[in-house]
Amino acid sequence: MKSHPKKGKERVKLSRRDFLMAGAAGLGVAAMGGLLPDMLLAAKAPAFKKGTKLSILQGSYFIAPSQDLYKRQAQEWGEANGVEMSCDFLNWPDLQPKIAASVQAGGYDIVELWGGWNYLYKDNLVELGDIAEAFGKRNGGWERYVELSYKVGNRCLGVPHGYSNGSMAYRISWFKEAGCPNAEDGNKIDLTWDEYFAIGKKCKANGHPFGQALGHSTGDPPGYCYPYMWAHGAMEVEKDGKTIAFNKPQFVEGMRKFIEGWKDAYDETGTSWDDSNNNRAYLSGQISSTFNGSSIYFTAKKNQPEIAADTHHILIPKGPAGRFYWLDTRTFAILKNSKNVPAAKEYLKWWFEDKQFGDWWRSQEGYMLQPVKKYYTDPVWFKDPKMAPFREQPKYGQNMGFAGPPNEKAAMAWSKYIVVDTFAKAVQGGDAKQAIEWGAEQLKRIYGR
Amino acid sequence: MAANARLKSFSMRDFFDRERNLGIMLFMAYPFFLGIWLSLTDSMIGRAGQFIGLRNFVDLLTDTIFHQTAKNTFIYALVTVPFKAMLGLGLALILNRHMRFSSPVRAAVMMPWIVPTALSSLGWFMIFDPVFSPISWLFRNMGLISKNINFLGDPILAISSVCWANIWRGVPFFGITILAGLQSVPQELHEAAAIDGASVWHRFRHVTIPSIKGVVLIASLLSIIWTFADFQLIYILTKGGPANETHIFGTYTYQIGLQATEIGMGAAISLYMFPILAVFAILLLIYLRKEQ
Repeated sequence: MKSHPKKGKERVKLSRRDFLMAGAAGLGVAAMGGLLPDMLLAAKAPAFKKGTKLSILQGSYFIAPSQDLYKRQAQEWGEANGVEMSCDFLNWPDLQPKIAASVQAGGYDIVELWGGWNYLYKDNLVELGDIAEAFGKRNGGWERYVELSYKVGNRCLGVPHGYSNGSMAYRISWFKEAGCPNAEDGNKIDLTWDEYFAIGKKCKANGHPFGQALGHSTGDPPGYCYPYMWAHGAMEVEKDGKTIAFNKPQFVEGMRKFIEGWKDAYDETGTSWDDSNNNRAYLSGQISSTFNGSSIYFTAKKNQPEIAADTHHILIPKGPAGRFYWLDTRTFAILKNSKNVPAAKEYLKWWFEDKQFGDWWRSQEGYMLQPVKKYYTDPVWFKDPKMAPFREQPKYGQNMGFAGPPNEKAAMAWSKYIVVDTFAKAVQGGDAKQAIEWGAEQLKRIYGR
Repeated sequence: MAANARLKSFSMRDFFDRERNLGIMLFMAYPFFLGIWLSLTDSMIGRAGQFIGLRNFVDLLTDTIFHQTAKNTFIYALVTVPFKAMLGLGLALILNRHMRFSSPVRAAVMMPWIVPTALSSLGWFMIFDPVFSPISWLFRNMGLISKNINFLGDPILAISSVCWANIWRGVPFFGITILAGLQSVPQELHEAAAIDGASVWHRFRHVTIPSIKGVVLIASLLSIIWTFADFQLIYILTKGGPANETHIFGTYTYQIGLQATEIGMGAAISLYMFPILAVFAILLLIYLRKEQ
C-alpha cells in the first residue's frame, strides 16, 4: 500500500516499506557525507577480542585520592569495553628499571614516561601523534615546557599529562622571625638565591635550618640543582647538544656561594637525603624551608593543620642568569611489544577526553602542573592562594639537557646524577672549581660520545 | 671391538646424565656468555647494539666513577671480612660453651643472616637516618654531640656505615660455621693438652685454631665472593651516593645498565668483577681439593 501525501495539516501516513526506503536513503546520504563511521562509532563501543587485558605502569602518586581515581577510571573503561585492566604504581626510583625490563621482555602495555625516557625507548614506542595533537589543540595548545620536550624529533611517542614539580615550601613564622618581608604571603616574595641563603642563615641561627636532598634520588635533588646551575649561567651543553657549557666562571662563583650557604643555612646531613627525607624533616618541624612538591603542604593539611597554616610557597629563587625550573614532560606511552595496541590507543584516547583528564588533573589540586594552556585559568588554581606559585612554574620551565634537546644523553646524565653529585662533591670537599671540573669531565664522557 | 664395548657400557642412565649435565651447563652458561657478548657491544635497552670490541672496558679505565666504585668494592669486601671472621669466632666460642637455652640462643643469633637483606637494610636505613637516627638522638641527649651524625652523607662515615651493616649481617654465618668446626674438635685433644699443662690461651692457639683453620678459610673466601657481588644493602641505604662514595660493582652496574639503559657498558662493569671473583673461587677449589 502506497502512501498518499496530502496538502495542509493532514497527517502523512507511511507504510513500513516507505519507512525502510526513507531510512535507507537517509543512511545513504549520511554515508556519502562521511557521517556513517561516526554514527556507527557513537552507537557502539570498540570491540576487542575476548580476554583482552591492558596493564598500565606508572609512578606512585603522592596525592592518594588521585591514584584511586585513576584506578576507578581505568576500571570504568575496562568494564564498558570488556577489557580487563590492571594498574601498577611503583616507587619512583624503581619505575625506570621496570619499564626497561618491560621493553626487553614485555609485561606492560601502557607506561608512564618521565623526562627523556621517550628518547631512551624511542625505537620501542608507538606513535601517538593523533591523540596528543587532538588533546593539545582542544585545550588551547601546549605549555612551553611541554612544547620543548614532548617529542622525539618530529615523532610524538606519548601523550603529555603534565609534570609534578617542587617549589620552595617555608614556615611563615620562622621566615618572619628571620626578618623576611611579606613572609605571610609567598606570592608577594620574589627572592634571589643570595637573599634566600641570607634568610636561611638567620633561620639556622634560630635553630631552624633549611633542608635540601643531595643524595642519589630522582626528584628533589635534580629539581633543585639544575635550576641553580642555569640561574648561574651554566648548562650541561650548548644548543648543538655537544659542547659542554658546565664549567663557567659565573657558576664557579655561584657554587662558592652555595658551599657557604650550605654551611650557614642548611642541615648539612642533606648530602644523604632522598626525596622523602625533606618531607619528614619539614613535617616534624626540623627545617624551615625546602624544595619540594606540594605534597608536604597536602600532608600537613590532612594531618598537621597547624603546620599547614604556617606554611606557604615561593617561586624558586632567581640568579644572575634568571629564574628557571627543571620541567620535563611526562607522557603516557604504549610499548610496541604490547599485544593490545589498538585497545591501549582507544583507552588513552578516552582517558585524555576533557571529562576524564579534567577530573584526574583537578583531583591533584595543583600537584600536577598543567600540560595545556586551558588549565592555567582553571578554578583549581584559585581555590588556595598558597598553591599559586605552582601555577606560574610552566613559564620558567627548562628541559634537562638544556640548551640541547632532552635526549638520551641528557637522560643518562640525569640517571648518573652528574649535576647532583657535582653539588654533593662541592659541599663535601669545599672546592667549587674542582667539583665543577669533575662534573664537566663526566658530562664530556656522556655528550662527547 | 673396543668401540662395541664402549657402546655396550653406555647405558640409558649415562645418556640422561649427560643430557642433564648439558642442560645445566647451558642453563648456567647462557646468561654468562650473553653478558660477555653484551659487554662487547654498544647495546642499549630495547636497541640492539653493534660489536665494538673492548671499547666499553677501555672506556671504564678512564672513568673516575668506575675507579671510585672499584676502590669502594675492595674496601667493602676486604675490610669487612676480617671483622666478620673475628666477631664470628668470638660468637662461636661463646655459643660453644654449655649454657641454658643454648638452642634458642643459637637460633636467635642467626637472625641477621636469615632475615631477608631488603628487610634488615630498611632497619639500618632507619638507624642511620640523617634526621631521626636513634643513635644521634641518644648521643645528643647524653650531651656527646651537638648535631646529628651524618652517617650516610659524609664520605668516610658513609662507607663505614655500609661496612658496619654488612658486618652485622655476615657475623652469624661465620659464627655458626666456626661453631660447627669447634664442635668437631675432639674433646680429648683439649684434655690431653690441659694435662700437659697448657694454659687456656695455649690450648686455643695450638689446638682450637689449627682445628678450625680450614673452616675459617672457606667461610672467608665465600664471604669475600658474596660481599664483592653485593647489591641490596647498598642500594637500599644509599643507591651508591653521596657523590658515588658507596657505589660498588653491583650498584654501578644497575645504574648504568638499567637506569641509564647502557646495558653493554653495564655488562662490562659487572664483568670486571669476574677475574677477581675467579681468583677467589680457584683458591677455594684448590683448598677444598687439598683437603680431600
